[in-house]
This record gives sequence, C-alpha cells and structure tokens, in this order.
Amino acid sequence: MLLSPADTAQQDRAGFPRLLPVLLLVGGLIGLAAAFALTVEKIALLKDPDYVPSCSINPVLSCGSIMKTPQAELFGFPNPLLGVASFAVLVTVGAALLAGARFHRWFWYGLQLGATLGVVFVHWLIYQSLFVIGALCPYCMIVWAVTIPTFVYVTLRNFPARRLTRYHSVIVALWFLAVITLILIRFWSYWSSLI
Amino acid sequence: MSQQQDRGEARRAKLQAVQAEQERSTARRRNTTVTFAVVGAFLVIVAGVFAVTKATSGGGEPQNVQLVRSDSHRLQSAPGDKVTLVEFLDFECEACGAAFPVIEQLRKQYSGKVTFVARYFPIASHFNAERAARAVEAAAKQGKFEAMYQQMYQVQKQWAEKKVPADELFRSFARGLGLDMAAWEKAYNDPTTLARVEQDVADGKALGVEGTPTFFLNGQKLQPTSTDDIKAAIDAALAG
Repeated sequence: MLLSPADTAQQDRAGFPRLLPVLLLVGGLIGLAAAFALTVEKIALLKDPDYVPSCSINPVLSCGSIMKTPQAELFGFPNPLLGVASFAVLVTVGAALLAGARFHRWFWYGLQLGATLGVVFVHWLIYQSLFVIGALCPYCMIVWAVTIPTFVYVTLRNFPARRLTRYHSVIVALWFLAVITLILIRFWSYWSSLI
Repeated sequence: MSQQQDRGEARRAKLQAVQAEQERSTARRRNTTVTFAVVGAFLVIVAGVFAVTKATSGGGEPQNVQLVRSDSHRLQSAPGDKVTLVEFLDFECEACGAAFPVIEQLRKQYSGKVTFVARYFPIASHFNAERAARAVEAAAKQGKFEAMYQQMYQVQKQWAEKKVPADELFRSFARGLGLDMAAWEKAYNDPTTLARVEQDVADGKALGVEGTPTFFLNGQKLQPTSTDDIKAAIDAALAG
C-alpha cells in the first residue's frame, strides 16, 4: 500500500516521534543505573552478609531485606542482571531512533514483547514487595517507574488507539497513582507516623 | 485553468494542515489538563485522608509525652543521670541488630558515666517484632530485661525476617534464661504487656521517631552515621 506523505506524517505523529526516542533513551539510562546499582549492592552483600546496602534507610525502605529473598532471584540468578541487559537495549533503541533510524515492523514487535514481559515481571515484583515481603526497595521502585511508561508508549506506538493515544499521559498518571495508592494503603501506619 | 485549480488545491491543503495542527494542539492541551487534574485530585484526596487520620488519632493523647518513663528499662544507670542515651529499638530490625554490638561496647566504655535506656518501637512490617518486644517485656517482669534483650540480638539472624510466628523460639529463650515459665507465658500473652509496649511506641511517635534505631542524647535526637558520631556526641555532653 502506498501512503501519501501526509498519511505517513500522520502515522508518525501518532507514534510519538519526538517523545518515544527520548523516553527510551532517558528511561533506559535511569533503569540501567538502578539495575546496575542493585547488582553492585548484591555483590557487596554476597561478599559480606552483614553488609547494609545504601538503600536500606528504614524498616519500610529497605532493599537489604528484599535482596535476600528468593523472589530477588526468580530465575535462579539475581533479577537486576535482567535489568542491566534490557535497559541497555532500550538505551540503544532510543539513541538509534534519535539518530533517525527506521525499524522494520518485526523489530517493533520484538520491542513490544520485551516491554510486555518487563511490565508483567515488574508487577509481579510490586505484588511480592508490597504484600509478601512487606518492604520497599528504592532502586527497584525506580525500575518500576521506568518500565510502566516504556510499556505504555511502546504499546500506543505499535497499536495506536485514537482515544487512548490522545490521553497518553493520563494513562501513565493513572497507572502510577494506582501503584502509589497501593503503597500508601499497605504502609499507611508507617506513613502516618511520619507526619 | 489548471493552474488556478492547482492554486486552489494548494490553498485547501494549507488550510487543512493549519486545521490539523490546531486540532493537535487542542488535543495536546486537553491531555495535559486532564493529567494534571487527575494528579491534583489524587493529591487532594490523600492530603484529606491524612488530615482526617491525624485529627482522629492525634487529638486524644498528647498530654504527657516522656522520653524516659519511670517504668522504662535502664540497661545501666550513671549517678545523677547527667548524660542519658535513649534508644528506640525494634528487635527484628537489621539496623538495630547492627547497632547492638556498638551499644554494648559504648556501655562498657561509658560505664558509670552515661545512663542507657532502651525503649520498644516494634514496626508493623516486621512480623515478629511485636512478639519479640512482648517476650522481652515478659522477661523484664522477672528482672531479666537485659539478658533477654541481648539474647534477641545475639541470634537475630536466626529468626528475623521470617514470616512465621517465632513464639516457640522466644519461649526457648525464656527457658534458657531459667525463667519461671508459667509466669513468663502469662505475661507474654497478657494484654497489659502489649499495652506497655504500645506506650513506648506512642511516646516514640510523639517524639518524632520515624524508624529504628532512633537515639536521643539528653533529649536531643541524634542522627549518627558512625560509632564515632555517637561517641563524639556523648563526649560533648559529658564535657558540657
């Protein structure tokens, strides 16, 4: 099918041509930094079991207790290793798009698959962290915060739905607020003791 | 003729482009507005709920908050209580476990000079923290506060952060200390023991304790990042 220039322009605009590359690049870098920090902390913890990680601030914000759980090694190796690899890919894709690269459809579907698996995994981790372990890990929360918009924007780009696309940042905001609400409810007694 | 047609077409295309751009910018603005509205509404609701909980919970009992009560446990006392270090602690908290040997060492170093007070501050997310506090308080009823307190921390890694009740283990600690087990058991399950623990927590919250361990030196909240910080603060208080 031949598209007139106007049509392709329309399609490109629907795919967040300016936002998506920057989001992938910046989000990828942030996620990479967090996953890297977690990996380094994990190694420090392995060297010295009494090590208290930099992100163990108080009983609720405590990655030390989280990093020692079996959930932190779901596939038999520390989860952050997955993050280090995947976020590096996001950085690369974002930079390539900024440099004007155009990808085949299969490439975008590959990215979609990765983003979907990522968002599913992150929500399993959110559930475990809040309701099973009962603590929050700041670095992990950075990863959650990056994975959600990545999934939303990659999905809207690949499967544009007019209405949803129009309210793209509302979707992200609602999603974030839902997670924040769960965090508030779960640790309410702790938060209210802070005020 | 065709030139005129072309010109007309071009003008129409231009007009369409302008219109489309306008539509896009309204859509963009609408998206931004709705996003901010949603976030704003959320913030208002959360602030409201916070205010309500605070008004209902805090209104009742700010009458007498005390850093050290007559029934607070003194690990050791110095004559005159010139310098007093109060620790709000949670037996299951990792950082408190790390602070324990430091405090033990300080107690030796400043024996006779500094009064050390321990107060309970079990945190809800620690499954066995409140049980541990009750177990220690039940031992304290038989004069074994210090021994039980040390026992909890010495083997903290054995029981901390396991999400199963540790009653049996705590019972074995009490037995190991040679306590009257019937009396211990009774105190362990007695609501007044829990109330005693909760009194400490209420005092801590009123004093601005946010997490554990939190130290107060002569009523001043300390934020030590190292053993030397605590030592320096104690030395300054002793000198002053």
